[in-house]
Formats: sequence, structure tokens, C-alpha cells
Amino acid sequence: MPGGAPGPLVLASGSAYAEDRLDAVEAMAASGRAAYLGFDCLAERTLALAQVRRLADPSAGQDRRIAALVPLLRSHLAAGRRVVGNFGAANPDAARDDFVRALKEVGLPGVRIGVVHGDEVRLLVTALDAELPELGTTVGALGDRVVSAHVYLGADGIVDCLRQDAQIVLGGRLADPSLFVGPICHELGWELDDWDRLGHATMVGHLLECGVHSTGGNYEDPPYRVVPEPWNLGFPIAEVEDGAVTITKLPGTGGAVDAMTMKTQLYYEIHDPAAYLTPDVTADFTQVEVEDLGADRVRISGARGHARPDTLKVLVGIDQGWRATGEMSWGGPGCVERARRAEEVLRKRLEPYAAELDEVRVDLQGVDSLFGVRMAGGYPSEVRLRLAVRTTSLDVARTAAHETELLYFGPAGGGGNVTSVVPAIGVTPAYVPRELVPVRTEVSGS
Amino acid sequence: MRLRELAASRSGDKGDVSNICVFAYDPADYPLLVERLTAERVQAHFGALVEGGVVRYELPRVHGLNFVLDRALGGGVSMTLRADPHGKAYQSLILDLDL
Repeated sequence: MPGGAPGPLVLASGSAYAEDRLDAVEAMAASGRAAYLGFDCLAERTLALAQVRRLADPSAGQDRRIAALVPLLRSHLAAGRRVVGNFGAANPDAARDDFVRALKEVGLPGVRIGVVHGDEVRLLVTALDAELPELGTTVGALGDRVVSAHVYLGADGIVDCLRQDAQIVLGGRLADPSLFVGPICHELGWELDDWDRLGHATMVGHLLECGVHSTGGNYEDPPYRVVPEPWNLGFPIAEVEDGAVTITKLPGTGGAVDAMTMKTQLYYEIHDPAAYLTPDVTADFTQVEVEDLGADRVRISGARGHARPDTLKVLVGIDQGWRATGEMSWGGPGCVERARRAEEVLRKRLEPYAAELDEVRVDLQGVDSLFGVRMAGGYPSEVRLRLAVRTTSLDVARTAAHETELLYFGPAGGGGNVTSVVPAIGVTPAYVPRELVPVRTEVSGS
Repeated sequence: MRLRELAASRSGDKGDVSNICVFAYDPADYPLLVERLTAERVQAHFGALVEGGVVRYELPRVHGLNFVLDRALGGGVSMTLRADPHGKAYQSLILDLDL
């Protein structure tokens, strides 16, 4: 309904990444506040790990919360309201199948689902032998170690699905803000080359995509910064008008929507604020004004935009072998000295594997693990040693992690060993011409 | 005076690049931040944690500064062996800077 109903268009966030909590979704759906719920399900490394899951099992690689999510969304969908998300991760068709199954189970068959295809570009970057500027090499030089390549897709495929009356739109690497730019442009009738409006819509998307990061998450620093009930943070709701947006949250939820929580989110993960690059627009946030209206309402205006970039960003996943970690704690007098001695033991024990260890790091948590040695004060009452290694040999990875368990026989009093070995998938950017990435949409009833 | 008394902050990551934005609680303190919280001082404060350079962007309308720290995350979230792969704690380290 371009042109739309009177009053602002209301959209809300339901998820900020693949492991986000779902307990707030039901109340948001039941409130009837939002015409659209947007679910960001991805982070930089999520897709590469999803691709690894898909390589092991062709029916896997999608977001794993769909069966649990759909019952919470029932009232939202039954009322004809819409959902957009990058639930597909590495396997959009499998995500669609999960939705179809779950919709039948909650008694909502026949819901139209749109799938945006085209983000999987491993063949393209291989054919182009795309450069990997951060690594100073090319895709071809890495050969079989390239396990995934996904391009950030913009709002156009989403708009196309909505025009075909899709009530649920999903895809793989749909860019985070585009999950909201698509619905905004569709509902308000904005053209996808109306750059200032695209900049505004992208700002709205950026404020919603990170979920409770906007409403008091990752924010408290008592006594300077405190928010109410941080155990029950409300997800952000956007009331979008031409040129301005009001952000709020559901009454009865915790957290805070005020000028400072908005500002800290607005410039989060932005580099040049005059040129925030997305597939949709080069957004300019330098002229943004933030006005605190009180009662968890903030009005934000002034975002601008310029023509979208000619290239699209691809995240290329590279098999870097294994990442192993192992931890042990020491406490009481001399704990730091004993932990330092344990580090010496570990490094000696790992010497035979030196040729296979690409990187080794030992930190004493509580002393130097976050910022190096910068302590002005004295020693802590306890300290935790953390070994981390990267290697292409699974055996060496397991051996290194196990060496931290053997520290039970090392300096006196070590306790609480924990180890882990996980795949190390590096992700690095590449850039491809936009015209080489065809986007295909597919809309059908569940 | 410590920056923590005057400002809120947040850090984010894209690949091996960290951004840290800082906002004055009181707009009257913003000129002081512009004067004292230079890219050079942030680079020195972070020391060896940052292997590339530090660029500062000014945001006068919201009384903030945005710092972009290149090669600051040990290779990025999926590669780094650091205890805090996203550099989420960097927002706290910058607040320890003595203006």
C-alpha cells in the first residue's frame, strides 16, 4: 500500500543476531504496535560457521530458532502484519521449509513467503579471482580454503517480495539496515534512488538492527550510566515519518530510550559518519539531530544520503584450521607468579609443535588479557591463565588445549580447567561490481 | 580529569577495525573533548593494541567524537586469539584516558 495509511509507519526489532533472546518477541507481537518486525540473525562470523554446518549437512545452515519463533509470532502473523529477516544465513530454502512446517503446526497455513536469493557468490569471486585487500592475496591463491562468499544484498529484493504480497520475507546475507529500508520504502512509496530518504531509512535500520543495543544494552556504567530493569530490556520500536523518526519501546519493559542511548547506537560500527556505505546508499549522519522527548521517546532527524556504492561488499570465509583455548585459575599469595610459571611450562610443552602452531597467545585474565599490562594498582587475589592457539592440525589443537589440563601437575594450586576446540573461519572483505550480482526473488504460499 | 567522568562511549568492530564513539554528557564539555581527546592521544593511550593508525571524526551536533582504529583487533573477530575478540571492552579503556 504505497502512500499508506495515515500516521507514521511503525516497525520494531525482534532480534539482533543468531543467539539473541526470543522472550520479548511474544509481547511485541501481542502489542500490535508494529506493522513489521525485523529480525537480524547474522554477525560477521555467523555466516561462515553456518556454511560449515551446511557443508556437513545439506539441510542445515539456516537460523536455528525458527521453530521456536513462529509460535511467538502467531498473533502478529494472524493479524496480517509482516516479518522480514535474514533467517536464511547459508541456506534460505531450508529456512523457508522451517517456516512452512512451523506455520502449519500453529494453524496458519497459506502464509505467503518471499525468499531473496543471490547473496551466495562463491563461484563469482572464484571466477573473478577477487582481491582480498586485507590479506594482500586473492581468492584463487587460497584455493580450497575459501569455504564461503556472501555478498551484502540491499533492500531491492525485499521490496520486490513485498510487492508480491509476501507476508514473510527472508534471505541470506541481507544487509542489516536493509531489513528495515525495504519495508519503509515499500510502505511509504519511496524510490530506491531517492538518496536522502534512503539515508534516513538506513539510519532507522541502524537504530533497530542491533535490538536492545538501542534501549540500554551494552550501556550501563554505574554510577554514570544506569538504566532500569536491565534484565528485561525492551526492543526498539520506530515510528517513521518523512525526514524524522521517533524511537520508543513497549511500556513495562526495562532499559531506556533517551538521547544518550540513541547516540551511542547511532555511531556504533560507523567509520566515516559522512559516508556510511551500505548496498542501498552512501548514508551521511553528520547532520543528525537527537531530541529527547521524555518517557522513553526520542525524535531523530537530519540523516542524508548520496548515491549508493558501485561495488557490493562480500565477506569471504577462509578455513584457518582450528582455534583451541584452555584455562586454569590460581589464587592467593603469589598467584600471578605461579600463573606466569605455568605459562613457561605451557610454552616449553608446546615447543615440539611449534612448526604447526600458526599463532600462540597466553593471557593472565585479571592482569593483562584485555589491554596488556596497564595496572596501576597491586596484584589481584586470583588470576586465570588463558592459552589460545591457532593451527591447521586438529590433533595439535587438541594437544595444546589438553596441556592446560596437565597444569594440575604444574605450579601449586591451579584449578578449574576448561578447554575448547572450534573451527577457525577467518572472514575478510572483497568487493564486486554490483551488476555482476543478480538478485532473484521467489514468493509462494506456505 | 578522567574521560569517564565526562562522557559515554561505545566500541564496535568491522573486520580488524575498531570504532569507538564518545559523547559528552554535558554539551558544555564538548569543546574540551575536541581540544584534548585527539587522535594522537588515543593512539598513544592504546599503544601496541593498535597496529594501524587512528582517525578521528567530529560530531558537533551530537557533541561526540568517533575514533576509527585500524588493525586493532588482532585480525578480527573470527581470527583473533584475544580474550575479547570484538574489542567490546575498548569503550572502557578509552574512558580511562586522563584529560
